[in-house]
Amino acid sequence: MRRTGGRAAWTARVAGVLVAATVLAACGSGDDDGGSADTDGETTVSLWHYYGTPDTPPGAAFQNLLDRYEEEHEGVTIEARHIPFGDFARTLLQSAAGGDLPDIALINAFMTQSMADAGVIQDLSDRVEEWGEQDAYFETSWETTQVDGATYGIPHVADAYAVYYNEAMFAEAGVEPPTTWADMQDVATQLSDGSRYGLAFSGIEGDEGATALIIRILAAGGDPAALDSPEAATALTQYTDMISAGAVSNGVLTWNEEDAKNQFANGQAAMMINSATYVSVLAEENPDLQWNVALLPSDVEAATFLSAENLTIGATTENADAAWDVITWMQQPEVLAEYLPERNKLAARDDVDSGDDPIRAVFAEQLANAWAPEGAVAAASSEVFTHIQGALQAAAGGGSSPEDALADAQAKIDEALANVE
Amino acid sequence: MTQTETRDAAAAARSGRGRGGRRPGDRSGGRGRGPGRWTVYLFVVPAVVFVAATVLYPLIFNIDLSFRDVGVAQIVAGDAEWVGWENYADQLGRSAFWHALVTSLLYTGLAVAFAFGLGMALAVYFNQRFPGRNVMRSLLLLAWILPTVVSANVWRWMLDGSYGLLNTVLEAIGLIDGDMFWLARPVPALFAVVFATAWSFTPFVMILLLAGLQSIPEQLYEAAKIDGAGAWRRFASVTMPLLRPVNLTALLLCFIYTFKTFDTVFLMTRGGPGEATMILPIYAYNEAFQFFRFDTGAVSTTLMLVVPLGLSILYFRYLRKEETA
Repeated sequence: MRRTGGRAAWTARVAGVLVAATVLAACGSGDDDGGSADTDGETTVSLWHYYGTPDTPPGAAFQNLLDRYEEEHEGVTIEARHIPFGDFARTLLQSAAGGDLPDIALINAFMTQSMADAGVIQDLSDRVEEWGEQDAYFETSWETTQVDGATYGIPHVADAYAVYYNEAMFAEAGVEPPTTWADMQDVATQLSDGSRYGLAFSGIEGDEGATALIIRILAAGGDPAALDSPEAATALTQYTDMISAGAVSNGVLTWNEEDAKNQFANGQAAMMINSATYVSVLAEENPDLQWNVALLPSDVEAATFLSAENLTIGATTENADAAWDVITWMQQPEVLAEYLPERNKLAARDDVDSGDDPIRAVFAEQLANAWAPEGAVAAASSEVFTHIQGALQAAAGGGSSPEDALADAQAKIDEALANVE
Repeated sequence: MTQTETRDAAAAARSGRGRGGRRPGDRSGGRGRGPGRWTVYLFVVPAVVFVAATVLYPLIFNIDLSFRDVGVAQIVAGDAEWVGWENYADQLGRSAFWHALVTSLLYTGLAVAFAFGLGMALAVYFNQRFPGRNVMRSLLLLAWILPTVVSANVWRWMLDGSYGLLNTVLEAIGLIDGDMFWLARPVPALFAVVFATAWSFTPFVMILLLAGLQSIPEQLYEAAKIDGAGAWRRFASVTMPLLRPVNLTALLLCFIYTFKTFDTVFLMTRGGPGEATMILPIYAYNEAFQFFRFDTGAVSTTLMLVVPLGLSILYFRYLRKEETA
């Protein structure tokens, strides 16, 4: 078959087939909402995010932020579109193929590298140079915006995973939040009774379910992308033991983060590993629940998993200046100081007054030792994390020994990393 | 699958032949005299255009895609290099691909076996006359009509480890104690998706077989009875041989539809736990939309065509043999 048509025709065909495929996957793709700059000084900036619709606590807080920008900037409208997390990357790529990218895309920090490689988002190095505030950012957060020495995004907020614990249950059993993973196993075992479990987390199929195992491997001093290590074996063996002893429910393998939160909120789990996203959700939905947060236990290291988003500018936008203005406005310390408490998120920079909320203080302390993937692992993070979850699944539910499960997953990770050119 | 298709399949089954087309060498029709001769073909143009645009074009595009190097960057930039059989070599060298193929065949084989067994039992049952027969038959069809999004999620909730209906029942009769997460364990999860699929296909099989059963002359059974054949003997020696063409049609259709099923399994397990239910369609979906390797995703969907296609060819050859015999 010879090549037919030009670049544009091919793109259009790809877009067509992708759209057809999306219909097959039963999720409608959106409409055209490219921004436009009108002649009478009216500017519309389109922004895509996955924080939630305006009727959810995170979505409402984000919408308030956008509304504040519009109030301060006459003639600028921000058209926000919410796309569920699971569909976000795919929708963005489809739109890129159709030449229909948003002006601003608020993407998962770990996707920055693959989106930059794909040419979906712009190089912001020159703008950042002129702006000159990059030194205010925490290293781990800023690192996620770097691709081959250029900057492709600005960290929007930072968040990390910590332990939520049920204060009433802890008081009743007379225990303290665990500080080491050995303690964690004891406390979780003590607080479980067959129908209630000691600890809940998300271990669901796919990359979302890898976080808990990554956290445990980091605590053991291991590298999440090197699973054929004694550290990873320690981590996985402990989870497997906790699950078989009933300290952790076998159901973690079917739970996403929302499900883990529900287990905790219903009193079916005494602790959960989750990000600060659920602080406001729990406060709103379960006002009677007595809970608090503690730092993740450590083993060899104190470590957590970064949960963050970067603000990026679409590669094909005609509104790059307007988009950049929105992004830099959002990152002003006084704007963040007002917005972050509403979201229970933390600043990715060190010059923001974080208030004196004790819960946020714990997350802030936890964030200091956050880990994020780099290099080839960042470029293939979705696949690498999927295989890490696979190891948890195979050992906890599939009857493999932890060592076999890890060796299996490592082989797949090596293959995935070899695929990254 | 639409109602019309079901009807056509049932009609084909009733005529004892899986195709409604003309026999080769049958040259009546379409041969008007004079100017009307070509105008008849105009009537099929809309259908041909529709099929070409919605089936053939994507199919050919997909095959073309599988011979190019297409990752995210190529999708966005809109140009892809031709790499020949490289993607095929890559996929065929992957254990995950073979695992998905084996899982697909296992899942399809089991689901078809269950659906066919149940469908046959129900068809024989409903072939008798008793009050309320039609109402019950229509009720059974609900399983077939129910959108997969609904039925798959209902199955998922019923099988949930902590509040699922199945566990509540099992606990009540003392078979299990405490939580049991069926969908988090490989073997139960595979059987769960098999049952859910078989459950929704059973009514379809039942209708096909019922159509076949009703075309068997009553006298044959009466003759068999006089010769002293019992119920089981009548089923084995009269029903089954006469139903053979219908059975084959039902099995083939059922196999093809199940082999390409995506939604039920995706909604229930996403191919998990681990890779226990990682059937080819989900594997291809992950390749293309989770890991953005569109080229190898296209390879697996192209290879996915081979199995049903091979079966169909065998089936048509068998039909021809039947006709000439």
